[in-house]
Amino acid sequence: METLNRIVTSSIGRKLVVALMGLLLCGFLVGHLGGNLFLFVGKDAFNAYAHHLETFPLLVPVELGLAGVALVHILVTLYLQLTSLAARPERYAVTQSKGGRTWGSSTMIYTAAAVLLFIVVHVATLKYGARPSPEDLHGLVMRYFSSWGWVAFYAGCMACLGLHLSHGFWSAFQTFGVDHPKYTPVIKGLGTAFAVAVSLAFASIPVWARIAMGGSQ
Amino acid sequence: MKVTLKVWRQKGPDQPGRFEAYDAEVPSTDMSFLELMDTVNEGLIAKGSDAIAFDHDCREGICGMCSQVIDGQPHGPDQGAATCQLHMRKFKDGDVVTVEPFRAKAFPVIKDLVVDRSALDRVVSCGGFISINTGAAVDGNAVPVPKVDAEAAMDAAACIGCGACVAACPNAAAMLFVGAKVSHLALLPQGGPERARRVLGMRQAMDAEGFGHCTNEAECEAVCPKEIKVSNIARLNREFIKALVCSKE
Repeated sequence: METLNRIVTSSIGRKLVVALMGLLLCGFLVGHLGGNLFLFVGKDAFNAYAHHLETFPLLVPVELGLAGVALVHILVTLYLQLTSLAARPERYAVTQSKGGRTWGSSTMIYTAAAVLLFIVVHVATLKYGARPSPEDLHGLVMRYFSSWGWVAFYAGCMACLGLHLSHGFWSAFQTFGVDHPKYTPVIKGLGTAFAVAVSLAFASIPVWARIAMGGSQ
Repeated sequence: MKVTLKVWRQKGPDQPGRFEAYDAEVPSTDMSFLELMDTVNEGLIAKGSDAIAFDHDCREGICGMCSQVIDGQPHGPDQGAATCQLHMRKFKDGDVVTVEPFRAKAFPVIKDLVVDRSALDRVVSCGGFISINTGAAVDGNAVPVPKVDAEAAMDAAACIGCGACVAACPNAAAMLFVGAKVSHLALLPQGGPERARRVLGMRQAMDAEGFGHCTNEAECEAVCPKEIKVSNIARLNREFIKALVCSKE
């Protein structure tokens, strides 16, 4: 109980929670991406995959667990952000980085907001959107991606996700205290590779759907 | 060469402050930034005005007293150097140089550029020491310490407690300072017995003083005059997790 209390009430403990939830969400990204890649195989394969997933008996508990993980990641981060704002009540007139900050690290809160907006829109449109027929998720996806506006929105949000991951992945390991002269450069490299691969792979789907398939079914 | 210093002036704690501009003649680019501040102050005193209050002591980069944010960077534009080691050759003729105090809730401004950094001392008093009775000096080789650990402990112990890490951190976190203090003791055998109590106590004091949380942006490492690495923050996190899991305290 004392251990739990120390985690919940300390800045380092709260960061550990954020890092753990972040890494779990990275795992979800890999799984979700794997499923999405069935789109490249073909309409029947993707619809069969979607049917298999939607009839999975533990789908609702897994979805609730995932939503819980995302919610904890967001709410604890927001709380920490508020404590940080309070930690510097008077701002500097001039601020200039000396090289520590990166694009990814200095925009975490903004890229997080973009990804959150994306999740809401994505779930509303592609999870609960009206399908051509109940078994045809492929048709719904292609209908959305026939619009350049949706393609740009998806690609832009995936760029934000990539930027978020470019700092978040390594940062989670650092928070867990994983640091070694031999392995830290590898973890940093893996983080960059993960960010680029995941964001490009996700963004390739709407771009491919619009260009190669013309957004048609 | 001439520069204009835009300096934060504040009469006292909780008083409103404002920037005031001072034109300064720089007779030699070899003079230090603090010597230029001295020159400006001599001019102000000669005119009967209040001199700019700023912290300084050793002026050779080892005491950690000088605490100015110069053009948005704690300790100014030099790498691995304190404000007192900054020279005017880093500036150009006609530059407008903005000078501010370290900004953090835990570092309240006392006057002008002087801030109260005793929060760092209070954090150290909650575990940043070894309280075992050491007795007489033992033979140098009686307790073997691997050279890499000794070097890493010495690197961490180089921290002069200036607070630039807090000043540069976007969250005003003190993780590099606490990481350095925890590391230099945790890496050595003598620091072992109290390591859990140390990290738990210092973490608690750090949060109680109102420092922010670490987002691993490494600005602290970039401004540190002693070039202390963020690997010490990872070690602090590691020590904290170990204390959470293994400590009987």
